[in-house]
Amino acid sequence: MQLRLRAPLLAAGLAVVGAASARAENPTEVSSRLTLFREPSSQNKGITVLHPQVDANAPIAGGLGIAAGWEADAVSGATPAISGPHTGVDAITRATEFHDNREMVHGGFTYERPDAGIGASYAYGWENDYRSHSISATTHDDLYDHNFTLALAYTHNWDSVCDANNSVAQSPLALIPLTSSTHCFNSSATDVVTHRLNIDAIEPSLSWTMTPRLVIQGGGTIQLLDGFQSNPYRSVLVGSQHQEPQEHEPLYRQRYAVFGRAVYAFPQWRASTLTMLRLYQDSWAMQAATADLVVNKYITQSALLSLRGHYHLQSGASFYRDGEGYRTKGPAGQYWTGDRELSPMSNYLIGGRLAFLRKPRQERSSWFVEMEADVKYELLLYQLDSVNAPNYDRTYAHIVQGSFAMRF
Amino acid sequence: MRSQCISKLILVFAVALSACGGCAVSKWTVKPHQRELLADRIMQLDADAQERAAEEHILSNREGAVGGTGTSGGGCGCN
Repeated sequence: MQLRLRAPLLAAGLAVVGAASARAENPTEVSSRLTLFREPSSQNKGITVLHPQVDANAPIAGGLGIAAGWEADAVSGATPAISGPHTGVDAITRATEFHDNREMVHGGFTYERPDAGIGASYAYGWENDYRSHSISATTHDDLYDHNFTLALAYTHNWDSVCDANNSVAQSPLALIPLTSSTHCFNSSATDVVTHRLNIDAIEPSLSWTMTPRLVIQGGGTIQLLDGFQSNPYRSVLVGSQHQEPQEHEPLYRQRYAVFGRAVYAFPQWRASTLTMLRLYQDSWAMQAATADLVVNKYITQSALLSLRGHYHLQSGASFYRDGEGYRTKGPAGQYWTGDRELSPMSNYLIGGRLAFLRKPRQERSSWFVEMEADVKYELLLYQLDSVNAPNYDRTYAHIVQGSFAMRF
Repeated sequence: MRSQCISKLILVFAVALSACGGCAVSKWTVKPHQRELLADRIMQLDADAQERAAEEHILSNREGAVGGTGTSGGGCGCN
């Protein structure tokens, strides 16, 4: 549960179909990637995540293509088991060390015609305390001589979350957190239970080739979550009587986002810019705005440099209070959380990627069509609005990534 | 303060989308022979699906918003 499978599965499910879809006319591709995420802490070990990915896709015949992949997360570090104030007499400094692993396999197919295509994929992810089955379907249709592309993606998740058996709890304030995943998904165990979480997401988009240099895309996302969404391990210090119940979030959440993207070419510089703006709102009263800018430039015939800036601004959930707020004022309604994602905050991300491309010369026969190796570094900076916000001891993170791909 | 800021951004976004929609009436056709630049990988909205999945994996666990980053299958219409 430390790894929060549900959101990545949506992205991965769509990406599987997209990978095959975008390259249906291209040769077979095998790609691998390794990402290191390091989030230091001023008070403990922080978090380290190693994320390997391997994907392959290939055309079969008659517009049919298949794709498959595997990815994993190896997470280690320390995180406070209780969310509360970082300052004052009730400051919480104790952290629990942990190691966890997640794995996911996925596979799918695409069927492409000259003006349209469909795709479907399935993904299964598992870790000690979380299981997820996910199906995705996409379709796209080119209109007006390929100047417009109308696309639609749908994903459904059937997720299972392990939790402590709280059947005897008389009120949410009596909920106790899960302390170990040892008995999770063991039908004979009585100290744990399994909760369901169903997720539906639909994402339409329209792309428009406006000019020979400019492509724009607009669209949106509707995501509905129905089920257990709290972190079962996390407790929150609530009230001045030092009660420490398990995190308690609503069971239902509706999430909406609209976005616009544009890519513009600067042929005289062999460069392009990609801009994105996203606006977000959900039924937990969170609002957010996200902007992205990527500049791509060929610095030599076979070297591509990409620089990226990312900014994200969000308000907090309606039931969010920082650690000191929960301690002195108690919960805001019937729910409480210690999740940084639900706090008012902003993120900055800056970084760059260098890609090396190798294509055999046209006059020579070769066993490959293209070879690509990438290295990337990004710095993620967090700006929280209170010293008693969750994870205030972590103000930045390093993201280092390397990848290698072959197209045959 | 944050809510006001975000509400203004929503308004600007809506106006920009409307303006783009108006342009569609006059010129919306790019001929096949004009697509040389669009075929380059740096003109793809999602050039690398695997990289995109890794990015979303990181950011969706550290930001409260999700989705709205584009649908695979859409693109420049080069195919």
